[in-house]
Amino acid sequence: MHSRFKSVLVVCALIVAVLGSSIGLTSAQDIKVLHTAYLPGDVILDPSLATWNNEIQIINQTYPGLTTFDENTVEIQPGLATDWSVSDDGLTYTFNLMHDVPWVTYDASAGEVVQIMDESGAPRVVTAQDVVYGVTRTFDPATGSQYAGVLAPWIVGGEAALAGEATELGVAAVDDYTLTFTSPKAASFLPMIYGMWMSRPEPQWAIEEYGDAWTEAGSYPSYGAFALKEWEHDVQVTLVKNPFWPATETLPEPKLDEVVFTYLEEPAMLAAYEAGELDWIPTIPLSDLPRLQAQYPDDLHIGPDTCTYYYGFNTEIAPTDNVHMRRALSMAIDRATIVQITAGGQIPAGFFTRPDVAAGPSQEDYPDLAIHSDVDGAKAELQAYLDETGQTLEDIPSITLMHNTSSAHATIAQAVQQMWKDTLGIDVQISAQDAQTYNETLRRDAPNVWRLGWCYDYPDANSFINDVYRTKGPDSNNHTGWGTDEFYALLDEAGVTEDVAARTELYAQAEYMLVNESAAIAPIYYYTSQQMTKPSVERSYAVNRIERLDKWDIAQ
Amino acid sequence: MSAVDVTPQEQTASSASGVMQLGGRAQQSHSPWMDAWRRLRRNRAALVGFVIIILNILAAIFAPQVAPHNYTDQNYLALNSAPSWIVDIFPKMKPLEEQPGGYVNVNDDYILGTDNLGRDLLSRIIYGARISLSVAFIGPFFSLLVGTIFGMVSGYVGGQVDNLMMRIVDIMYAFPTLLLVILLMAFFRASFNEGDQGTLAYKMNQLDAAFGGMFFIFIGIGLTSWMDTARLARAQVLSIREKEYIEAAVSIGSRNSTIIFRHILPNILGPIVVAESLAIPRYISFEAFLSFIGLGVNPPRPSWGAMISDGSNALISYPNQAIFPALALFFIMFAFNFMGDGLRDALDPHANKRV
Amino acid sequence: MGQYAVRRFLYLLMVLLVVSAITFFIMHQIPGGPFSTEKKLNPTVLQNLNQKYHLDDPLPTQYADYMVDIFIPRVTSQEKVFSVTDDYLVNINLPLVDDAALRWINFGPSYKSPTLSVNDIVRDHLPVSAQLGVLALLVAMIIGIPLGILAALRKNTTVDYISMGTAILGVSVPVIVLGPTLKYIFAVELGWVPTSGWGDFDQMILPAFALGFAQSALLARLTRASLLQVLNEDYIRTAYAKGLRQRRVVIVHAMKNAMIPVMTIIGPLFAALITGTFVTERVFGIPGLGSYFVTSITNRDYSVIMGTTLIFAFFIVVANFLVDLTYAWLDPRIRLS
Repeated sequence: MHSRFKSVLVVCALIVAVLGSSIGLTSAQDIKVLHTAYLPGDVILDPSLATWNNEIQIINQTYPGLTTFDENTVEIQPGLATDWSVSDDGLTYTFNLMHDVPWVTYDASAGEVVQIMDESGAPRVVTAQDVVYGVTRTFDPATGSQYAGVLAPWIVGGEAALAGEATELGVAAVDDYTLTFTSPKAASFLPMIYGMWMSRPEPQWAIEEYGDAWTEAGSYPSYGAFALKEWEHDVQVTLVKNPFWPATETLPEPKLDEVVFTYLEEPAMLAAYEAGELDWIPTIPLSDLPRLQAQYPDDLHIGPDTCTYYYGFNTEIAPTDNVHMRRALSMAIDRATIVQITAGGQIPAGFFTRPDVAAGPSQEDYPDLAIHSDVDGAKAELQAYLDETGQTLEDIPSITLMHNTSSAHATIAQAVQQMWKDTLGIDVQISAQDAQTYNETLRRDAPNVWRLGWCYDYPDANSFINDVYRTKGPDSNNHTGWGTDEFYALLDEAGVTEDVAARTELYAQAEYMLVNESAAIAPIYYYTSQQMTKPSVERSYAVNRIERLDKWDIAQ
Repeated sequence: MSAVDVTPQEQTASSASGVMQLGGRAQQSHSPWMDAWRRLRRNRAALVGFVIIILNILAAIFAPQVAPHNYTDQNYLALNSAPSWIVDIFPKMKPLEEQPGGYVNVNDDYILGTDNLGRDLLSRIIYGARISLSVAFIGPFFSLLVGTIFGMVSGYVGGQVDNLMMRIVDIMYAFPTLLLVILLMAFFRASFNEGDQGTLAYKMNQLDAAFGGMFFIFIGIGLTSWMDTARLARAQVLSIREKEYIEAAVSIGSRNSTIIFRHILPNILGPIVVAESLAIPRYISFEAFLSFIGLGVNPPRPSWGAMISDGSNALISYPNQAIFPALALFFIMFAFNFMGDGLRDALDPHANKRV
Repeated sequence: MGQYAVRRFLYLLMVLLVVSAITFFIMHQIPGGPFSTEKKLNPTVLQNLNQKYHLDDPLPTQYADYMVDIFIPRVTSQEKVFSVTDDYLVNINLPLVDDAALRWINFGPSYKSPTLSVNDIVRDHLPVSAQLGVLALLVAMIIGIPLGILAALRKNTTVDYISMGTAILGVSVPVIVLGPTLKYIFAVELGWVPTSGWGDFDQMILPAFALGFAQSALLARLTRASLLQVLNEDYIRTAYAKGLRQRRVVIVHAMKNAMIPVMTIIGPLFAALITGTFVTERVFGIPGLGSYFVTSITNRDYSVIMGTTLIFAFFIVVANFLVDLTYAWLDPRIRLS
């Protein structure tokens, strides 16, 4: 009833608006509304608390970061900060912020976006102090920010602040529009990290006034190209154009008037799209891909994604504690066939790090360092294993392959199971657990082989190989039990190196140790995105999957 | 509440399962079982159901001989293929040759087509009968074992014990089944993984692996389905507890266990068994539901439930992948249902008086 | 009657307490937690989160605190800033006392949606599930009961087989197949109704039918069985003997009694339907509570698990109570004891 009631209200409001204004500049037809759908799961619009794509997609439109990315090349470019400089020791970054960016909110009774005034009646504008407040709030233990942990190593006092100690954070407002970040160690990707969602300006006054409800429609302040108009939790979010946004070259004035996100499962999304209810769906059920490719060739777009699909090995339990066994298993995976089964144009992976991030090595440039599917090589490695351990094929301890519950993972696991049986004569047991149990299992008691995917937080090789494999043990993302000082030294050196070509070389060497020499993991494929868009939508395809809706348009 | 009261809820729990309250003793001159068999044979639907079940059992047992392909064989050249007769039936399925808009890999080697790994659907349906039938027999087994004993003890002992035991049943009813199953499955699967060799946990896990992941499903089904049986068993016990032959057994000093198992059990088992046979379709669909939420059997072992839920991912593109396992499910549910009804009618001593 | 009501209420409390205790302790045994993610959290962050929600307290303490928040009403000042940890289902401004409000039933915050309380979730989604449940139950009754009557009256004839076959088709074609099929035909191809969503009547037709059809088999089978039983009773045969026509006999005499077992199953079925159905809601994109029964468990969102479970238990107990009342009304021989 609600939405009907609301739509009646909206229609009434529109009629009144049209009749009321003698000139009648706007009529319903002129409003450009983009209808889209995202996967279900309630979103969090608090920049300090956001964690996943559905949320970042909205937050980047309402709270653009200090730095942003070119959606086609993921090169870093100005955002809220017009420019920045770095001190000679590489530890202090100074950002110059845009001037006179007003805080706004959607006023439902007026039906329009309005500026927020302070106590003296002057419009509130985004200042460096707002950023300092936002970062401080992110590190406040009471906030419970999950991504504070990603920022903590790159800001002085970050780890201590998280632990609740009274400490000076390495973020400071020099004046209203000048901001400095100080890091305990240098890294070339720091401007990317400082541009992430957990270090954005936040409206202190609103958070104090509304408490936990401050992100609800009606009280949610924002400053980006879009503002929050309506939010029915887990059902729909509507963004509306913010007319007060001072457009820049990298963050232009939006052409769309409204964007409506509906939260649906993939098959439901597709049905709604096929019925003409949606203009764009960011994912599709892969099993329908051949039909969609055949029937809607113009609508379908296959492009890059941010994740790598891989199998990991527990290097501490037999028989995967033996490097020959691991290499045999990894080489026996026919990656070309896997991507044929998954059928979404995925790319067979030879490295863990995706080649399309900064300093990411590609298989083409480093063919000898990457791992390759190789039946003969796999058999030779298996023989080496048997010779070394003095076992026969029958003696090999049983191998368990585990994945989190999903029919797609089950399909790949069964294909790999068959490949290992055909190529190596090894029978593995497949077992699935629900995601949460699975995470705990990997941490405490990892099986021989497990499936995981990793998506970068910021488009740099560091966000792959370093963030996952620089540490090991139950408190890390590394469940292999593998890691050597030589490997760590390569990663550390790559982190502080400025020159991109030199960094790429270092990461390629580290990758070689991870996926080939030690075969602690078996990368399988690089994910791709499959999207459907109505031809009337003029759009770009963001490589990092955070779409630049402010640049989209709908042809009339 | 005294123990002999039959509260409305309990009385109806028995009739809710669609079962008459049978007197325990045979009144006719010839064997009641022969009578029942005669009536069962006359009921055509029950007979058809019976035949379908027998055929299914045979197919499940002789699956390796019956199935045209090995159910694990993956043919990467025939991913998601469909034979021409299926392509003709479903207007949306356009063969790859017909461009523009064609996408279906037509392959007549597989009568019902293949799944997304190029495995023969028909063979997987035939092998899938093993799981569905196991569920159909082992689910009731657990339920009968726990439910009947619980109900009999409750009804026989009576008093505060009865009151307490029935409150336990009420509480189990108030528990969302789904929650309980997910909790139990996650609990079993997780806590039994870490068992050291030789411990009970390890053995149970081995057992589960041996059953292809079905063992914990059986336990889950058993644990969530015994309450109906318990209520029914209790109501039955209450109805015959005051009969002369029980009183006679008590008066000559028989032990309680003797009375329960020798005198009461045989007299209440009929209706309970019938009620269980009517509940079988529920067990089968329950396994299908577990597969749907990802707590089903271990791959590559097929079950109809898992096939339906996998197939539903591509329902519009490849309808054959979900519809045929669903049809198989329909036939077996149909069969169990009519056999259950037939059994009930056959065992009902009044059934002949009117039709 | 008064005493009876008091006893039923105490019984309700007991069921809720026991169910909550079992759920609480089992769910904490399952590996994982609300903040266990694939990407490992910074240990300090995890510790902070656990502290924030008191998940680092001993379990019995957590349980006791939780029960107090739910069951014990408290009096606070009327004005307060919204906080997810302090959100009550019942808020009554007390008369006569200045600035005092009675607040009762706080299920706590959702850990997965830190800006929502469990009460927010219930307030938003339970009404939707209830609407769907009522419609589906109506569909189930409209399809199931006539099929059952038909099957019973024409027992062991083709009519019987077709009626029961239709009903069984409902259970054996799961909503996961029926739902998308109906949707593709009526929403995508024919465009008669929207594909998903909830609110307008045309959005309700397909899900109500898909869900109701699946439940109709149960009602059909039950109606058939219990009607057959009643038709064998002496008083029905007496009615026949007196020369009453069949239809009248069935409607006036048999149906009333035959409905008793049907009522007993409709009660719990109703409770189950209005508290939400996961698959139907997911297939049709309906914002009901059913999804939360499953996602709360997969997310280990403890407070939402507790909230949904207790609400379900509450409805089951109340439904059984209503069934008993109806039962007494249908069969005057039964007394509420």
